[in-house]
Amino acid sequence: MSLTPTFLSLLLLFLFLFCIFPLFYFMTNQLITHSLTHSLTHSLTHSLTHSLTHPLTHSLTHSTAQPLRVITEDTCLFHYLVPAPMSPSAKSMCSETGSQDSGDGNSRTLHWDPDPSTLQLHSDSDLLGRSLRLGMAKVTQVDFPPKQSVSYSKETQTPTCTQTHTQAKPAEEEEEEEMAEPKPAEESKEEKADQEEKQEEVTPKDLTEEEKMQLLHSEEFMAFFDRGSRIVERALSERVDVCFDYSGRDLEDKEGEMQAGAKMSLNRAFSDERWSKNRVVTCLDWSPQYPELLVASYNNNEEAPHEPDGVALVWNMKFKKTTPEYTFHCQSAVMSAAFARFHPNLVVGGTYSGQIVLWDNRSNKRTPVQRTPLSASAHTHPVYCVNVVGTQNAHNLISISTDGKMCSWSLDMLSQPQDSLELVFKQSKAVAVTSMAFPLGDVNNFVVGSEDGSVYTACRHGSKAGISDVFEGHHGPVTGLSCHSAGGPVDFSHLFISASFDWTVKLWTTKSTRPLYSFEDSCDYVYDVMWSPTHPALFACVDGSGRLDLWNLNNDTEVPSASVCVNGSPALNRVRWAHSGREIATGDSDGQVLVYDVGEQICVPKADEWTRLVHTLVEINENRDEGEELAAQRLVA
Amino acid sequence: MAEVEETLKRIQTHKGVIGTIVVNAEGIPIRTTLDNSTTVQYTGLLHQLTMKARSTVRDIDPQNDLAFLRIRSKKHEIMVAPDKEYLLIVIQNPSE
Repeated sequence: MSLTPTFLSLLLLFLFLFCIFPLFYFMTNQLITHSLTHSLTHSLTHSLTHSLTHPLTHSLTHSTAQPLRVITEDTCLFHYLVPAPMSPSAKSMCSETGSQDSGDGNSRTLHWDPDPSTLQLHSDSDLLGRSLRLGMAKVTQVDFPPKQSVSYSKETQTPTCTQTHTQAKPAEEEEEEEMAEPKPAEESKEEKADQEEKQEEVTPKDLTEEEKMQLLHSEEFMAFFDRGSRIVERALSERVDVCFDYSGRDLEDKEGEMQAGAKMSLNRAFSDERWSKNRVVTCLDWSPQYPELLVASYNNNEEAPHEPDGVALVWNMKFKKTTPEYTFHCQSAVMSAAFARFHPNLVVGGTYSGQIVLWDNRSNKRTPVQRTPLSASAHTHPVYCVNVVGTQNAHNLISISTDGKMCSWSLDMLSQPQDSLELVFKQSKAVAVTSMAFPLGDVNNFVVGSEDGSVYTACRHGSKAGISDVFEGHHGPVTGLSCHSAGGPVDFSHLFISASFDWTVKLWTTKSTRPLYSFEDSCDYVYDVMWSPTHPALFACVDGSGRLDLWNLNNDTEVPSASVCVNGSPALNRVRWAHSGREIATGDSDGQVLVYDVGEQICVPKADEWTRLVHTLVEINENRDEGEELAAQRLVA
Repeated sequence: MAEVEETLKRIQTHKGVIGTIVVNAEGIPIRTTLDNSTTVQYTGLLHQLTMKARSTVRDIDPQNDLAFLRIRSKKHEIMVAPDKEYLLIVIQNPSE
């Protein structure tokens, strides 16, 4: 202890004082006179200042201006300061701090270290009771006990490094030293930890309601919450129980193959209370990058005029959550939508007003990030067809509106079209295009279906840019077109099928202007048709009575190979095969998107499908020619 | 802001969800659907656990970061979606 020499000196000085004060008492028998005390204090302080530590001297220097006062029995704390045996009238007010002056200046206490264990001297009462006699004061031996080291059990807080240190040292002496040191170190660490914990406990109550609301409205919170809630919703919907015990419990519900040979089974039904109710599904598209994502566009909700007219929702097949991945909307009803093929984050929509809108799922906005202008250079009629054609490095967005105008755009700049073309037939009649299809791998030639029931082929570039041929056959507006897209040993890209309001689906080839075959199984408007992307002879069509039909040309051309009727018989507006060819999505007039799994026997092509299709086509051709001959003969006859 | 409310309500009304807590970077719960004592308990414990899990992931590979934390216990499932600044905690009873 660094202070021990000073305390010993204090002890000596007090002894000295003890001798002096009784002398005074004898001499004066009154209060110590001012002059005497003054001189005494001077001498005392002089001697004391040399030996005492700084804080004590500091307080003492205050007191040099004041006389030393007698401390009587009513002083509470400073009982180790030897009092004068006389002067009961001497009053001194004890002040805890000791260094403050009170007004009258008579009260003066010296501020000593109040730790009673350092000095034990006689209390006031002892001295006052006794008659004054000089004598040896009892010297009290004070033993300084070692600082109490609180020991903790190993499990709680001992740091392992110090433990190993102590255990490693073989010598006992060294061990003891080490033990002494880590213990105070642990103590200080624990104290610090306690303090920190207290601070931590205090801080949770810091945020007021206002601050919380502020936080909730901040940008970072929105971004975090958008991401976090998405993940949590997916995780919540997972019903996989990894801890399931097959041995103990009965299997209550048998998941898995219900029917091995099922033709089509409903996999998912997507609809959103707020965004898709009372709206008609106008278009569907599967994402090329993420096969589980499906975009569905909806037109306006007549029963909610204040909601945005056009909605596009991106649904996720992979997770079982029932809410859309992304919700996009715009001011005009969306008539067609597509994933931008070479831009995984963009969704393109063609609207009723003629605007083409672009949504980006990287932005947090639900409104379009880009829009084409509403001007004569762009579209002014509803855009029913949008498609991204080309390659990674050279692609365009093609859009056609119902006034026959075809524009090609660059996805980076939608402020004006790169190229526009008026589709007119025979230089006068504008073609009201309702559907469009590009053959596989072709970026120049395409087919369009129009409201007048004819199908036209056209070219984008070249000398014959515009409409080339007309294919007449339908008696009502053409609602859907699809070009053959299943690649294989034989190329069937000249084939395309069209659906129309005249209850039929017709099979065409670009080599002939008359239909090859007409599929007349339906009893209602056929709204859409699509070839399977994997099976060459398979296509799907949907009609207004809620039926989804799968036709396999190699099996039977008279009746569909598989058919399913949707619950409630809503009119099915759109049909889209997934890129894998195993699932079909349909959109209906109630705003529901239904995804069906197609049975393997039907949708997976066998190796000979292509050659069989060749034979089938030959047969169809022969039948057609025979039919025409017969018809011609009947006419003649 | 209304979307946040709507989403929170939707999560809360999901089948089996017992409670939802949103915690900020200092471990202070901002939104909660549980009572105060439970919230404070969950927040304190899960905040520390998330920090520990994140530091574990980063110690193994400094380029990596914690994306999602899911604790499946006998009775409940606790899901924590962490972020640089916030935590979204959802407690679900998966057997419902």
